[in-house]
Amino acid sequence: MPKKKTGLDKLCCMLMGFLLLSCAALAQRTVTGKVINKSDQQPVRNATVLVRGTVIAAETDSSGNFSIVVPNNGSHLEISSVGFENAVVPISGKTDIGQVQLTVTLGNLNEVFVTGYTSQKKKDITAAVAIVNVADMKATPSGSTEALLQGQAAGVTVVTSGAPGAAAVVNIRGITSSGNSAPLVLIDGVPGSMHDINANDIQSLQVLKDAGGAAIYGVRGSNGIIVITTRRGLGPVKVSYDGFVGSQRPLSKSWDLATPTQTGVAKWAQAFNDGLTASDPQYGNGPTPVVPYYITPTGAPQGAPNTSLADYNLYTNHITLADQQGNNWFNDIFKPALIQEHNLSVSGGTGKSSYFMSFNYLDQEGTLIETSLRRYSVRVNTNFSLADDHIHVGENVFVFYKTNPGYLNAPGVNSTNSINAAYQLPNIIPVHDIAGNYAGGISQGLGNASNAVAIQERQANNQNRTYQVVGNVFAEVDFLKHFTLRTSAGGTFDNYFYNGFATTPYENAENNHAANLYTETYGQNSSLIWTNTLNYSNTIGKHSFSVLGGAEYIFNTGQGVNATRGNYYITDSSNLTVSPNLWTLNFGQASTQTNNSTITGDNGIVTPYQTAIFSVFGRVDYNYDQKYYISATLRSDNSSVFVPAQRNGIFPSVSAGWAISQESFLRDVTWLNQFKIRGSWGKLGSISNINPTNAYTLYGQQVNQSYYDINATSNSPVAGLYTSQYGNPNTTWEQDIITDVGFDATFLNNKFDLTFDWYKKLVSGLLFVPAVPGTNGGAVDPFTNSGNIQNTGIDVGLTYHGRVNKDLRFDITGTFTSYDNKVVSLPAGTLYINQPVGSQTVTSRIQPGHPLGSFFGYQVIGLFQSYDDVAKSPTQQDAAPGRFKYADVNHDGVIDGNDRTFFGNPNPSFTAGLNISVTYKNFDFYTFFYAQVGNDIINNVKSQTDFPQAFGNQISTNVALNSARLIDANGQPTSIKDPTAHVANPGTNVPMLEQSANFSNSGVFNSYLMESGSFLRCRNLTIGYTIVSNTLRRMRFDKFRVYVQALNLFTVTNYSGLDPELNPGTNTVFGYDNGVYPNNQKSYNVGVSLTIH
Amino acid sequence: MKKLFKWILPATTVLTSVIIYACNKQLNLQPQGSLLASNVTNNSGVQGLLIGAYVLLSGENVPGQNLGNGSGASNYVYGNEAADDAYKGSTPSDQPDAIPLLTWSLAQATQTNYLDEKWVVLFTGIQRSNDVIRTMRLSTGLAPADTLEYTAEARFLRGFYHFEGKKIWNNFPYADENISYVNNNLSVPNYSGGQYIDIWPKIVADLQYAVTNLPNTQPNIGRVNKWAAMAFLAKAFMYQHDYASAKPLLDQIIASGTTSSGVKYALSPTYQTNFDPATQKTGPEAIFQCQTSVNDGSATATNGGNGNTGDELNYPYNHGPGCCGFNNPSWNLVQAYKTDANGLPLLDGSFNNAPLVSASSNPWTGTVDPRLDWAVGRPGKPYFDWGIIDTTWIRDQTNDGFFVPKKNAYALSQQGKYSSTETVFWGAAEVAANNVNLCRYADVLLWDAECEAQIGSLDQAETYVNMIRQRAANPVGYVYLNATYDADNGTYSPQTTPGDNYKVSPYAPGAFSSMGKTAALNAIYFERRLELAIEGHRFFDLARYDNGTGTMAATLNAYVAVEKNRNSFYLVNNTAVFTKGVNEYFAIPQNEIDAENSTGTIYLKQNPGYQ
Repeated sequence: MPKKKTGLDKLCCMLMGFLLLSCAALAQRTVTGKVINKSDQQPVRNATVLVRGTVIAAETDSSGNFSIVVPNNGSHLEISSVGFENAVVPISGKTDIGQVQLTVTLGNLNEVFVTGYTSQKKKDITAAVAIVNVADMKATPSGSTEALLQGQAAGVTVVTSGAPGAAAVVNIRGITSSGNSAPLVLIDGVPGSMHDINANDIQSLQVLKDAGGAAIYGVRGSNGIIVITTRRGLGPVKVSYDGFVGSQRPLSKSWDLATPTQTGVAKWAQAFNDGLTASDPQYGNGPTPVVPYYITPTGAPQGAPNTSLADYNLYTNHITLADQQGNNWFNDIFKPALIQEHNLSVSGGTGKSSYFMSFNYLDQEGTLIETSLRRYSVRVNTNFSLADDHIHVGENVFVFYKTNPGYLNAPGVNSTNSINAAYQLPNIIPVHDIAGNYAGGISQGLGNASNAVAIQERQANNQNRTYQVVGNVFAEVDFLKHFTLRTSAGGTFDNYFYNGFATTPYENAENNHAANLYTETYGQNSSLIWTNTLNYSNTIGKHSFSVLGGAEYIFNTGQGVNATRGNYYITDSSNLTVSPNLWTLNFGQASTQTNNSTITGDNGIVTPYQTAIFSVFGRVDYNYDQKYYISATLRSDNSSVFVPAQRNGIFPSVSAGWAISQESFLRDVTWLNQFKIRGSWGKLGSISNINPTNAYTLYGQQVNQSYYDINATSNSPVAGLYTSQYGNPNTTWEQDIITDVGFDATFLNNKFDLTFDWYKKLVSGLLFVPAVPGTNGGAVDPFTNSGNIQNTGIDVGLTYHGRVNKDLRFDITGTFTSYDNKVVSLPAGTLYINQPVGSQTVTSRIQPGHPLGSFFGYQVIGLFQSYDDVAKSPTQQDAAPGRFKYADVNHDGVIDGNDRTFFGNPNPSFTAGLNISVTYKNFDFYTFFYAQVGNDIINNVKSQTDFPQAFGNQISTNVALNSARLIDANGQPTSIKDPTAHVANPGTNVPMLEQSANFSNSGVFNSYLMESGSFLRCRNLTIGYTIVSNTLRRMRFDKFRVYVQALNLFTVTNYSGLDPELNPGTNTVFGYDNGVYPNNQKSYNVGVSLTIH
Repeated sequence: MKKLFKWILPATTVLTSVIIYACNKQLNLQPQGSLLASNVTNNSGVQGLLIGAYVLLSGENVPGQNLGNGSGASNYVYGNEAADDAYKGSTPSDQPDAIPLLTWSLAQATQTNYLDEKWVVLFTGIQRSNDVIRTMRLSTGLAPADTLEYTAEARFLRGFYHFEGKKIWNNFPYADENISYVNNNLSVPNYSGGQYIDIWPKIVADLQYAVTNLPNTQPNIGRVNKWAAMAFLAKAFMYQHDYASAKPLLDQIIASGTTSSGVKYALSPTYQTNFDPATQKTGPEAIFQCQTSVNDGSATATNGGNGNTGDELNYPYNHGPGCCGFNNPSWNLVQAYKTDANGLPLLDGSFNNAPLVSASSNPWTGTVDPRLDWAVGRPGKPYFDWGIIDTTWIRDQTNDGFFVPKKNAYALSQQGKYSSTETVFWGAAEVAANNVNLCRYADVLLWDAECEAQIGSLDQAETYVNMIRQRAANPVGYVYLNATYDADNGTYSPQTTPGDNYKVSPYAPGAFSSMGKTAALNAIYFERRLELAIEGHRFFDLARYDNGTGTMAATLNAYVAVEKNRNSFYLVNNTAVFTKGVNEYFAIPQNEIDAENSTGTIYLKQNPGYQ
């Protein structure tokens, strides 16, 4: 009976195989040499030396020397280094091959980049691809890796908040969807997120912007693709360390807010202007306001009774001194904060295998107290070659764990977060009362806002933890010379947990007896992807072609649960706090328990969900003589989110290029080194952020939406049902048609690289939940294909490589991104779709001819100066001197709803980035500027600080000093009730202080709040020095660089808010500043990077 | 190795075919965590949807909408504050959405979110009622009797929700079961052929269907029965001034009506029975209530749940149950409770003259109607068992007056049982299981009194009014000082020191006949105000009495003329003017006009006079 081979036998065979390979490796010798730059005869550091036909490699040291072990059958060395043409040198039996001269290519035309499922040399690419200079990109540290793209790639707009770990919003070629416009990020071929990837692991990063590049990703491609390749090991074992430590500085200047004295005067003016007698619980009833000594007891003077600590009681006598100078709430919550990052990597490649391992630790305290990001990540990439290099297998895996607590909207308070509270809460309130507990609005007459410090400090023990594993394993088989079969299985698994405790806010004006509340949320998402491709490539004479076919299946699913309890046992009765040790779901009152598995997961999708996509795709690339290029792609996608009849989408693209500089008639033109024009057309799709169950009408059973106490029990309602969602089976893909024309040029002795693209992107069948009439009832409406938008724009990237002499060299790279968004049409018959913000009726409106996000409301054309002015102006409700005069847009003599107009556009005219790097001997200097120009911002902070009628909140200095004042015919101060009243300070644009909101002041959305959001920012300024010494060399240091760095050194802007860089809310409503976590805070860092072999 | 490679191509082809086939099958993914239509097209599904249609009586709990202060069941903003019963309360700028409603603004009223919240809530109720009817048509396994019953209840609810809209906006569109997202006809018109569409016939038809098909009693006390439906049908006729149609219905209810559990309708022995969550739900006076429940798992950090969330702001400022200090009764309302030496109200309008009840100096020392201290909390009087009210219970005395609301509140001894202990965003204490009286027996008696006065006998009208006054006069139901409040029956003991100099008496026999129809009607209207104060009816009653005559504008402009010199909402908002012929109804929300007319065709037309 023949012996069956078992798994163990196979393993033994493989082990034997490895041993043999190792034995083979013994037959070898060492070859040395030196690599220099042909033009300046200087050594080339870190050049790669590869034994041709193997993966055996070495790297040159800082003197350009290398030493490599060559197997006996090795005949040639391939030497490559970024910025140089590759050189192939025969070994010819020598052990020292002497000097190898590399020719500067300037530009990266021969570098190979991964595009859609394949890789191409830059000069062969016919699609619009932005190749990001990874070194520049990594120069500015950030806890959010996607934020690093800001200004680094033409056509990419990035907006970030300053909150540690806050997600940046990345748009490629503008807003191209009303829902999700985030690009697809592929990390080693696996869809993932850039957010938490370790920037030091990135080898290359390309942005595919047009159909030629992105259409092969079909339904996932319409927002553009970011293709990231992570690092591989090469050559001898090498250990690198990069680290920095720094201090982030809060803004030195925040909102300009009135002092308590100015506030008192303003309160008196408020009443006087309305013809009333002023009185205030704190400032008294006299003819002039008196800033009190105590705010509890209300308005009490120094030495008043019941003000000693013995009289203190948390609720009934919350003794609090007035901060007579005015407390700076912004400074109370923003403090200098430490940031540090340490990155350690080990890499190498020997014989048939290579590895890259890295460990990264990022620790960023937020300048906003009690916020932070701590992230630990590990990457392991390995590759193996088998069967005479015909089979390659490998894996990439990245694991991170992070804690990112802090900046949340606090439940149970009026101000939505601490930054809002910092400008809303009157600054007469100190942080603490005399007993050291929080002070706040429970002191009479001081509005409803919350203590900003309390909001943050109460979150100090809240947790927010995530871990994620992302990676893939792959196998590649080369066969029949020209074929490569590749299979890759990968995915992402992430798990999140966060909890929070809401302490009874005893210091608040309202809700100060609310029960405490604990919330815990867990969830997980997983995404699996299996990709199989078969590639055939060949060159026959001058014809080069490559054909790819493939299939891909993606399955996503996620679950989550959220649970709460309240009424926790109070462990410190003096301030009603509960020890974090009791923050479990066991300790609260059991009857208050809630749990819910329908939560919005950290990817924004409501749990539980499952979606799947199955696709087949193909691609053909052809070129003739490296002059004429043509490519075509075709993808067929099927998505589970649509009904079978609507499920399939076919996405074709073609692109072509003509390398004119290769033509004989241009060969002699010396100033032009390389010139290629290209064009592409194609169709892409998007499922945007469509709800996975969109096609179905669904019914729910939820205690707070469909239970009714029909038996009058007061506590045991009967379960009922309700229609929770209307389905739309007709919904299908959002389709994008992108036309792109561009060129790549290298000229003037390879000193300049210029890439230019013009594009038109027409998005049709926009996936959108249109505002339907209230007659629909409360069920959620489905996404429908509602209308078309169009982006046109240009992307320009220009690099200049300069060299003054052998010591002084510099590179300047500028990127310019400009797009023009407009709504082309809406569903038949629909003239517009309103986009309400919060409780404001309409603030943005989607209407053909206007960009998404356009502000829509009443246009302020000035202030009424007198009743005579009122009489001569169009009829306007509540018109009076010192109040807003609105534009009569339709010229009918009456200001009404028909006079609302589009008065602003939050989309920038352009954004631009400028990188300058200079090296002088061992010094290096780098600076990066970023500009955003031409966007409008609604400074919603002013809706509070400029209108005290909005809840008696803190007012701005500008309003206290410069608001309109009324005088009578004799120049004496008067009130609005006086028919002779007119504005005493006609130059002001700030309306009169008043007691109550009405149509002609803050009662309707108007253009008063709008400001220009243009800014220019110096994002980064770095000076580094590389230490070169024999001692270090002996200690096996290949590199030792130290640097100092200043981030956000200055911002030039006229914007009066904290930061004109605003994280957009949604793609249809954005440009509203409610008080942001600023992203323009200075940071000073010191860092070191070193490599040891 | 070479051999192996030869097989790769064909093997790949086969494998790919298998994968394509298998993966395409993997795309049929069913929604998780929800029911599909096929799960609910049966008897229990329809029953469940019917329960779901009752939910919107609360005016809350629309998915995605939290804390609808403008949509609560009690209609306090519209019914009390926009009339002369109450002020907004709190600081002048708190809840700015209420301001244009209280100042009867013509331009800004179209923008306030409150009105839109109410609109959406009503249509959510309407569409849930329609869903019952629509789903029933697709269902199997329903007995004809079930179908009749479910249809009758659903049509009652649909009629009720439309009635609410009709009261508020007058030109409110009517959506039957054919109006749906799926049918793409949501631009429901209120205007056609150059005139507004009158939806009274459709409301009457729904309510009439319910009266015809509903049983006298129901297995659940909160389920609508024939008599409750009849009360609303009568109310619909009252609003159309069709006394001839209303009167026989009201007579029938008074003669034979019972609650859903079969208790004969009657006035409860004490007034407070109707507002005490321990007694209101099973009392003989409860014709139709919005049932509320707490501590049932419904409250969340962002949603008040199934309690009376609509009234969550309507408590004394940081005293008693807690918080916000809204819906503060007006000076004018408090004065209306003055009585003369005979225990009768001051019908000649002199009630609003000094001296004033509860004034801080030189207060009224005469007699008052004891109902005052159940409808209104005022300084120096007990707030159930929460202590004696003082001026610190008022948030901003300059603008809020001196009085706090009571009818929606509960006693300290009831805290935790009838108030939420769940973890509610706005604080659990303000979410109570105090039902909203959508119709109580006193309503029916007073409507019938109006009918009798209009087309029948003034003596009979007086009889009905006197029934109510006699109940009010029952000393068991007074508020007492130095006494303990027993929340189980809404009374105090010992009953030795009345809360004030109370005196309320029935009209002398024949008094109505001798004062004549107009004055008798005035007395009925006055009684209605006293009896139903702060229950969300006053504005709609004023509009109903007005009927094009301008009496509502006269009443409310006179009210402002006096109140703007008192510590009241109108001190700051002293230019408020009620425009005759416009403000009797509220503005249709601009959002809805924009949404329905977004194609350019006018489906929804703004009410006359609003911009």
